[in-house]
Amino acid sequence: MTETKDAWWGPVALLMVLLAIGMDLLVWQLSGGVEFSNIVEQMVLGFILAFGGTSLALLMVSIGSAHQHSHWKEQIVGLFLLAGLGLSLAHSQFNGSFAEMREGGVILLSGLTAMLAAIGLTTGLLLALVTGREYATDPLLEMESTGGDVVIELNE
Amino acid sequence: MFGMSDPLVGFWLPLVFFCLAIGFWLTDRKDPRKNLAKPVLVLSIALVVIFGTSTRGEDTSETALLAVFLHMLIPVAFMAIGTLIATFSGPSPVGPLPRGLRPMGFAMAFSGLLWIAWMLISEPPSAIANGIGQTIWGAWVDTFLSVLILIAALAGAFCVMMGDERHKEALTLGALTIAGGAMFYEIMQNGSEGLSASGWHSIHWEQLMFLIGGLLGMVAAGISFIALVYMAEKRAPDPDVVPPLSEEEKSVVEAVLRSNLSLLEGEE
Repeated sequence: MTETKDAWWGPVALLMVLLAIGMDLLVWQLSGGVEFSNIVEQMVLGFILAFGGTSLALLMVSIGSAHQHSHWKEQIVGLFLLAGLGLSLAHSQFNGSFAEMREGGVILLSGLTAMLAAIGLTTGLLLALVTGREYATDPLLEMESTGGDVVIELNE
Repeated sequence: MFGMSDPLVGFWLPLVFFCLAIGFWLTDRKDPRKNLAKPVLVLSIALVVIFGTSTRGEDTSETALLAVFLHMLIPVAFMAIGTLIATFSGPSPVGPLPRGLRPMGFAMAFSGLLWIAWMLISEPPSAIANGIGQTIWGAWVDTFLSVLILIAALAGAFCVMMGDERHKEALTLGALTIAGGAMFYEIMQNGSEGLSASGWHSIHWEQLMFLIGGLLGMVAAGISFIALVYMAEKRAPDPDVVPPLSEEEKSVVEAVLRSNLSLLEGEE
């Protein structure tokens, strides 16, 4: 079974990675290249801001759902520290500009909704396509229970 | 000091309220906070609507984002409803809709898709045609196309790999990948109405990379949250050891068991 799963996911993952690299190479070729350090800088900025923002969102959810039987102190204090760390780092990375941080947050929300829309619509289409077939009913589903009375006929 | 046209009050505060509403909704049904989930959710939506109506697209980046949502809401909803109708009017055992609706569902889904495709390359409304609005719209389009190409290819490969001769399904999703790829190439090669090719390149290298980093940051925050919960649970004290039953308690248990067993025998 493991071998089958490896064979299954390997080519699919490779296809996706190749497509992603292919798209970037296409833009690279059309744009005439870009400084690699700029790409890394943008990714680090996005990472820090999203880390702080997501921690803050999780902190709010945790505050809303905290109850006496949960170990909420560790959870809330930990998330508070993570959110504070992430957002203060983002504040310094955005040169102390709160307006730029807001714009970054808006770009993140925009990309996140675009991603969700693309995934939802494609998987919805896949679901609609693959549910179109009719199969013969499983004979096991038509069998009736005997309530535990079983008669075994032995061939002599 | 803070008015309804301030994005902190009209956009970010409702997001905080939305997270709180999710937290309230997750509480036990006997918890009084459970009843607060809906009012807080409605309050957050009302604040966003008031903010959206009291500002214009060029005012703030938050209003431009709302304009992007509004711009794409109808075609995305059209396609989503079409796929739902097509799915639930098929031969699925959970399909309560009449079978005749299936072609209509597919027609809605594909026309919604074409509508989205047309909107992606046509000139956007003025609220998102310039400045930060244009950047937000460009980031939305670039992300949507990139993820569409990747997920449609994944879904097509899934159809091939799952066997059962699903050629038609795989071909449809393959065509979606190719169509998405063609649109991506077109905007990167020639640009679109209102945004030149160099503008799209800039969006791809700046905003999309920012978003990839953001996605990794969200995953890292999720893992950190799980780690915090794990640490808290691990540090929780072990429950007290329960002493074994005393002779008196044992006799009570035996008496209860005997009475119940005799009742059962009496029934038989």
